[in-house]
Amino acid sequence: MENLELDTTQVKKMLGKHKAKMKFYLGMCAHCSLCAESCFLFNSHDNDPKYMPSYKFINSLGTLYKKKGRIKQETVEEIKANIWERCALCTRCYCPFGIDIPSMIALARSIMRSQGVYPQYDEEKAHPLAE
Amino acid sequence: MVKGKRKPVEEIYSVISKYSKILIVGCGGCVSVCLAGGQKEVFELIEDLKASGGSAKQMDSYTVERQCNMTFLAELDDMADAYDCIVSMACGAGVQYLAERFANIPVFPAINTIAIGVDREIGVYEEKCRACGQCVLSYTGGICPVTKCAKGLFNGPCGGTNSGMCEINNQTPCAWHDIYTRLKDQGRLDDILKIQAPMQWQNQVQRTIVQDAYAERYAK
Repeated sequence: MENLELDTTQVKKMLGKHKAKMKFYLGMCAHCSLCAESCFLFNSHDNDPKYMPSYKFINSLGTLYKKKGRIKQETVEEIKANIWERCALCTRCYCPFGIDIPSMIALARSIMRSQGVYPQYDEEKAHPLAE
Repeated sequence: MVKGKRKPVEEIYSVISKYSKILIVGCGGCVSVCLAGGQKEVFELIEDLKASGGSAKQMDSYTVERQCNMTFLAELDDMADAYDCIVSMACGAGVQYLAERFANIPVFPAINTIAIGVDREIGVYEEKCRACGQCVLSYTGGICPVTKCAKGLFNGPCGGTNSGMCEINNQTPCAWHDIYTRLKDQGRLDDILKIQAPMQWQNQVQRTIVQDAYAERYAK
């Protein structure tokens, strides 16, 4: 896998545009895990914690804010897995505190897309859901 | 999922030729999976349009997660007004939703929406459903006669079935022969005798689905 040079200026610009709301959401998460039950992928993967909606937004958008867009290739891969392979963005996840989880995943996806990171469906591999 | 195929570049270029600033919007949903309108295909379309005479035009791109969801279309609000027209690489539903969101900007489709289908192989897709709204698969062995039968017969076969093939040509399997064979193998031939009421194709209007759990919330 080639190393990806992120355009941190562009990433920070995108992060900054939504900073107030997203940082508020990230700080609001009480790690109560109640969002987990609302995720059909969490339920269909033997309650694997990596499929919890909170895990997915903390380890994608949360990482991007924490690292200010300066992330290593292995982190890019982890974020890609969290926001695409482990999330269908069905927008059905529910947070009792009102965190808009889909908007966080969607922003993380937009940021990664702006850096040329997105799912490649013509790769010779099985669909992640089939693995 | 919805399956589509990109229109010929000449057709797309013909509708955008009079515009200078063009925004090409990809869709990260179904058309990404069928390799027709995702982010990668957006870049390919820009290259093709530039090679087809559009090299002097400003062509920018953005891919939203799904063009059939207004939340994701809102990402375009800050940028759309800067363009003379928008080319959508979504299915017909996405194109119309995009045109609804930006009603003051011409929106053109770059994809021919083909079917609700399945992935035979990577890059090979097969139509399976025409969303007729009256599913009879329970009685037809899991083979859709609306999609597979040339006449879309709910009750078959017709007199044109010939050694397992359709009368339209000898390369097209007869759907009702396949239905008969599968039901016979499953010991369910009684099902083929259950006459299905004809589909009410007349006077069809745009359909809206409200799931039962949400009926009260959206009651008019």
